[in-house]
Amino acid sequence: MAVKFFGQFLVEQGIVSRDALVNAIELQDQKNLKLGEMAVSMGYITQAEIERAHNAQMSKDMKLGDMLVEMGFLTLTQLNDVITRQKNTHLYIGEALVQVGAISSENLQQHLADFKADQAMYVSDGIELPTGIANSNIWEMTADLTYKMITRVLDLQFRPGKCVRSEVIAPNFMMAAMDFSGDLEARYLISVSEGLQQSIAKAILREESVDDEPSEVLEDTVMEFVNVVCGNVAAKASQMGVILNINPPVTIHPPESGLPVPEGHTALSFPIHIGDGDQMEMILLIKN
Amino acid sequence: MKKVLVVDDSLSVVRQLEKIISESGDFVCVGHAKNGAEAIKMNHSENPDIICMDMNMPGMDGLTALRTLSVMDKEVKVVMVTSLGGVGDKFTEALKLGAKNVISKPFETDNVLRILREL
Repeated sequence: MAVKFFGQFLVEQGIVSRDALVNAIELQDQKNLKLGEMAVSMGYITQAEIERAHNAQMSKDMKLGDMLVEMGFLTLTQLNDVITRQKNTHLYIGEALVQVGAISSENLQQHLADFKADQAMYVSDGIELPTGIANSNIWEMTADLTYKMITRVLDLQFRPGKCVRSEVIAPNFMMAAMDFSGDLEARYLISVSEGLQQSIAKAILREESVDDEPSEVLEDTVMEFVNVVCGNVAAKASQMGVILNINPPVTIHPPESGLPVPEGHTALSFPIHIGDGDQMEMILLIKN
Repeated sequence: MKKVLVVDDSLSVVRQLEKIISESGDFVCVGHAKNGAEAIKMNHSENPDIICMDMNMPGMDGLTALRTLSVMDKEVKVVMVTSLGGVGDKFTEALKLGAKNVISKPFETDNVLRILREL
């Protein structure tokens, strides 16, 4: 069980074949016009104007629609018309699979219900961030998925503490970190005590005891936990319309004084109370 | 028993998959590689039936290795492993390049074995 897309779910479950999904995706590529293509098909702009806007995008970081408006090729009303038409005529993967004959339209509803049930545990529910944090829905989802993965993957009982802004990253036995890039830039960190590192290693390696494991294996298990969480966060963010790329995880051994928050960043601390003196914390270093 | 090669730069992932595979009774793990280039070499030396391969690895990544394997060896069945849940073009590209399926992380033993048995 993981955050996934409907097409992947159907292939994983053996409901549709790999080839059928590829055919359906190719049909989507043909039918779902990109913004520029749709604007041309509606007679608002010409291909030459799209190319001029694409060239202008190379020197200015703007979305195509905004650029077309800024260059005077589209009015704001026309841009909204184009976006509305794109949404109203969008061919979803389920319908595309029906059209290529991979599933029947009667079965589609049942498969969608099964998919929804499979993904139900990854639907966000109430996490409160301090006020004034941009893109708070993405970071709330990140915290929510972290909690769910602690339960699901690590099988640990815990109580989430209140999220606060932090001036310094508190020291702990070790940390594993992963950087997000793309639409948003941030570093995701999990800090753990020595006892928790052992608990994570037991859960990830599915071993009763990890006493004989070398420290590099123990550290790798914490990185892998971060990798799984961040991969699933990127998948969920994509469903929410935000592209997050993930980069390879790293380990950090913080000094006793903790780590300073880099300039130009906001640090959010999410304490995770496990009990037995073990300490765990999730930290988000969000670029302002 | 079908022979499986595991390809991942993370020791933890290799250990998890080796355990699931070896305890199944249907498959035997013939080794592991930590990047795509090693996977291509080991495919030649170990001749596995199935390769379970991570998408993102330092050095040669999984999609590059898949592209080479799909030309060099028409018999071996490649399954990609990812925590990215089919995000973006990589999932589609893997399927187009000939990957037979995709295993999501975190692993569910039953799901992993069902995918491998259906190959």
